Order: sequence, then C-alpha cells, then structure tokens
Amino acid sequence: MTGLAQAAPLRRRRPVARAVEGQELALVAVIALLWLALSVGTDTFLTGSNLRNIVFGVAAVAIIGIGMTPIIVTGGIDVSVGSMVAVVMVVVAKLIRDSGVSAPLAVAVAVGLGLALGCVNGLLVSLGGIHPIIVTFGMLNVFRFVALRIFDSKQVTGVPDTLAWFGGGQAGRGLLGIPNAWWLAMVLAALMWCYMRYWATGRHWYAIGNDATAARLAGIKVRQRTVAAYALTGALVGLAGCVLIGSGGLVQQNAGTGLELQVIAAVVIGGTSILGGRGTVLGTLLGALLVGTVTSAITLLGWRSELTELFIGLFILVAVGVDLVRERRRSAR
Amino acid sequence: MTTNTAAPDQTREDRPAPGRERTQWTRAVRFVLSERVALLSVLLVVVVAWFWFLGQNDYLVAPYDADYLASALETMVPLCLLGLAEFIVIVSGRGGIDLSVGSIVSLSGMALGFMVGEWGWPVIPALALTVLIGGILGAINGVLVAYLGFPALIATLATYYAYGSLALVSNDKAPISTKPIQDLHSLTRALDLPVVPDLPLQVLTFLVPTVVVVWLLVNRTTFGRRLYAIGTNDVAARFANIDVRQTRFRAYLAAGLLSGVVAVVTVAQFASARPDAGSVGNGMALPAITIAVLGGVAISGGLGRVAGVVVAALLVVWLNAGILLAYEGSDGSQVQLFALGAVLVLSALLNAVTLRRRGGAR
Repeated sequence: MTGLAQAAPLRRRRPVARAVEGQELALVAVIALLWLALSVGTDTFLTGSNLRNIVFGVAAVAIIGIGMTPIIVTGGIDVSVGSMVAVVMVVVAKLIRDSGVSAPLAVAVAVGLGLALGCVNGLLVSLGGIHPIIVTFGMLNVFRFVALRIFDSKQVTGVPDTLAWFGGGQAGRGLLGIPNAWWLAMVLAALMWCYMRYWATGRHWYAIGNDATAARLAGIKVRQRTVAAYALTGALVGLAGCVLIGSGGLVQQNAGTGLELQVIAAVVIGGTSILGGRGTVLGTLLGALLVGTVTSAITLLGWRSELTELFIGLFILVAVGVDLVRERRRSAR
Repeated sequence: MTTNTAAPDQTREDRPAPGRERTQWTRAVRFVLSERVALLSVLLVVVVAWFWFLGQNDYLVAPYDADYLASALETMVPLCLLGLAEFIVIVSGRGGIDLSVGSIVSLSGMALGFMVGEWGWPVIPALALTVLIGGILGAINGVLVAYLGFPALIATLATYYAYGSLALVSNDKAPISTKPIQDLHSLTRALDLPVVPDLPLQVLTFLVPTVVVVWLLVNRTTFGRRLYAIGTNDVAARFANIDVRQTRFRAYLAAGLLSGVVAVVTVAQFASARPDAGSVGNGMALPAITIAVLGGVAISGGLGRVAGVVVAALLVVWLNAGILLAYEGSDGSQVQLFALGAVLVLSALLNAVTLRRRGGAR
C-alpha cells in the first residue's frame, strides 16, 4: 500500500469537499432504485418487519464502519475487528450472565475493552512502525486466541436480555419503530461526519492519508491521530458487540469471523479510497445499507443465499471502478 | 500509508560499516537479526530442539520424532505454495496482495470435482485444466489490478467474495466425493521410503518441483528481475522500458496458477472436492500472507526471497505440530493461533527496529 504513495500527487482535490460527494448521490440513487424495484416486484419487501430486519442486520457493520472509515482515510486498515468483536462479546456475555451486571455497566465494559484492544493495534501501528495490515493480521490471531481462551471451549448459552435495548427484538425498537441499533449507527455517523468535516483534528486524518510526511511537517501529530483512529474503532467495536449480543441467548465461538471483510466492503462501496485521503462516513452508512438491501433482496426473490457474496463482490468492483473513472477524469482536467 | 522504513535491500545488510571494528560475535548476531532466512533457521532449530527435548522427557502426548515431523509436512504443502503465491504478488509492489487465493482454491477444486467426479474425464488432463482454471481466475485479478488500476486489496476482496460464492453455488454447497475423486487420494499417500522418514507423496510431486520452478522464475528469468524492479519502483521501471502492467499481470496470473496447484493437492488430500475448502476458519489467504511476511517479504514490495518463505512455512508447520502435542484437546489449536499472530507481529517489529537502526531516523 505504501508503494501507492506516488499516485497521490496526481490527485487534485478541491480544498473543501462538497457536502455530498458524487459517489454518495449515486449510492442513494442505486438504493432507491433497488427499493422501488423490490417493492413493486415482491409484496413482502416494503413491510415494517422486513425493513427492520435489513437495518438491524447491517447495524453492527455500520457502527464498526464508522471507525473503519477514518482508519482507511489515514491510509491504514484494520482486519482484526472480527476477532475484537469476539473478545468483547464473550467477556460481556459472561459478565451479564454470571455476574448479572446492569446494562450501563455492561456497555461501559464493552466500550472500554474495545478501546483497550484498539489502542494495542494503534500503538503497534504508530510506534512499532509496522504496516497496519501486518499488525492487524497478527492481532486477528491473537485476539481470537484470547476470545477462545475466555470461551473455554464452550459457547456461552443462556445470556439474559440485559442488552435488549440494542437487540433486534421488540425491546430494541426505538422511534418510528426503527431499531435502536440503527438509530445509534445514524447518530454516531452524523457526529462523525461533522467531526471529520469541520473539526481540525478530523481534517488531520485526511491530511495524513494524502501524505503522511507532509502532514507531519505541517505540524500534525501523526502518531497521536493514528492511535486515535484505531482506538475509536475499538470503542465502536465494543458498541457493535453490544448490538450483536442484543436480546441475549447464545454467543458462539465463531462470533465475528469474516466481519472485517464485510466492514471493509461497506466502507469501500461507500466511496472511501483504500489509498487514503478520501471518504466519508455517510458513504459507509449507505454502503452498509446497500449490502443489507442486497442480502434481503436475494432472500425475498428466492435465490440461493450464497449469491449474496457474488453481488457484494460485484458492487465493490462497480463502486471502485466508477471512482477510478472519475478520478482519471478529474486528474485529466 | 505509513512512512516506509523497510527500504534497504536485505542482502546488503551484513556489510559492516566502514571505520568500525566488529568482533565475529557481534557480526554474527547482526547477521542473524538482519538476515531473515538466518533468523528463521535459528528459530527453527530452537523450536525443533525444544520440542524434541520435551518429547524425550515425556511432556508431550506423543513422540516428536522424525516420522512425526515428516508427516506434519502434509499441512505444509498448501501453506507454502500459497505463501509463495502471496510472495510473488506482494513483491510486485503497489500494495500488491491477494485475498482471493482461498476462493480460487475452492472454485478450481470444485471444477476438478466436476471434471473427474461427475463427468468422468481422464485424470491427468483434468488436473492440468484445474491448474489452468486457477490461472484464469488469477488472470481476472491481474486484469483488474494491472490493467484497470484497481487497488489490489479491493480487487481481490471483491473476487474473494465472487469466486467463493460461485464455488458454493456450483454444487449447492455439497462436496463432491464420488469414487473417482476418492481415488485421487493416492496422489497424497505416505511414501514408504528407505533410510529417510516416510514423506507424504505430495511433498515430492507438488511441493519440491513448484518451489524449484518459482525459485527459477524469480531468480533466473527476466520476468523475475522485472518483478523486483516494478516492486521497488514503478516509475523507474517504466523508464527502464519495462512493461509494468504486463509484469504485474503475470504476478497475479502466477498466484492463480499456484492456487490451482493447491486446489489439486487439497482435493486429493481430503479425497473430496469441498466448496468451502479455501474459506473454513480464517480462510487460506490470511495464513498465506502471514507466512510470506514472516519469511521477510516486505509488504511495500520489491523485497523478499523464496528461501525465506519456505523456511517460514517449515517453522510454522513444525511449531504447530509441536503445539498440538504439548496441549490436550482444543487448547492446542488455540495456542497455534496465538503463536502465529505473536510470531508475525514480533518478527515484523524486529524487522522494523533493526532496519530503522540501520537506516537512521525515519
């Protein structure tokens, strides 16, 4: 990824990006078209329960994506979030089952634990001078080991519904019948969008992603901002863990496997450049929504569910392909 | 896009700085620390000696002897071949990586399952065709990355999903294990050798020839030289009149072909073409990338050696084999995860520290 740095000077960015970038408008259009087609084509798509399922199904991915976006904007990546979620889930599930802790304390533990794990990644990346993908590949294994140790070779059964506010059940419904988890994702995304757009420290992430050396020379605390991005993702992973535990029941040992790729897919479909320096959390939210819509559509149309991944793959290629074409046109102008 | 500290060539590292006296001892330590193959070899000897010692004193559930080590090589074949695939792709630079190798293994393995198991095609052409299908799938990655300019991580993430999905759909999630497929198992039987311990057959028929071919390809052909050139500096390579796109395309093609070989080995080993062969657990790509990086391949491209990857694969396989004997039940496989992650991060950390001290401030 480092080798791509030479492509960066070719890119001419407007100093202040437009409020909504082209990719996001296109995504909104695609999602709207899909929803329209599906509501006409099937009679079960446009029902409250189905829409609830769609947004709840992608809420965890969207919440983690809100943290993954700044990481990718700085030119990094975190492939360990799936294992992190497993650690958070097993610890919190055992706490609320065995010690009967209250919901606020459980959330605090989840966020704190996620934050700590995220800091480990961030410190290794920024102080160790190791490429993010190597650090997080390594920590993917280490965190999974930690989680399996705490699981103690047994899945956690009979988890009480302490965290039902986050869950997909009746107790998890908020305003307008929309799941609280999705509200949470939207509120966090809105905060993050403002932060990354209007706060100086938020803009620093873009500067680091465009050219880390130039950013450092311009007085940006590159290491501190990098650690902040990974730590933030850790905290959000904690919240996502709460969503995934939700109404309780069962936490399996393979919790969170493959989640990292779903999150990265949502971020990338949302128009964030994997080379760093460009992207918004609004796009990530829309990317997650698109993935959720496709998953639901394939079930409703009665196609084989394995085809979902084929479509996710194609959407990634189309989203990035469109971006590449626009990029070329922009640099040719 | 962290600032890259891993720039200097490994082979130049053991040259002592002028004007400074060094004893043989410090020079040896420096050599081991800076030369990845030497470091891994020392680690390998330590690991094997340690487990052998534990085995002699009855700490292990079964003896850690030559026969056990030889049979453990069975798991090394896919690991090492995919490690070499990642090695070629990562060396090609510009963020080169291939997340889709596992899905290529699944999909071309299913193709082999259909050709031999369902349609009753003759075995030898079918095997060749399987490798070729792997090559075609790799070529799709190559076109996306080299000619269309997709970032490698994204292109191969997309094809990881797409190929994996096609493999699952192809036979409705069911494995193919008809009689002709089961007969393929003879490709991976344990050999009854004199003097040396009984090696699995695929080590001699698949692993050794492929390693030799890859070594020749990388070190003795113009393609190999060009590969390092584009990985070290894209622009300089273009000015040196190297067809950068074609060379990078061929790197992904080679990774696809190697994945096709792994598909053959995997199908034969399990006596069944499984649609999820390349995606169970953490999949095959993650361990393969780990092996490549552990073997000293710089993720920024242009740096790495075949020997490093092979020794790294050997180290991980024999370490895992020892861990399995040292722990009972599922504890062993958990400790394996930890060992793999810790070894990867520590070796990368060591690499960063030694290179930074050598290269001065970042």
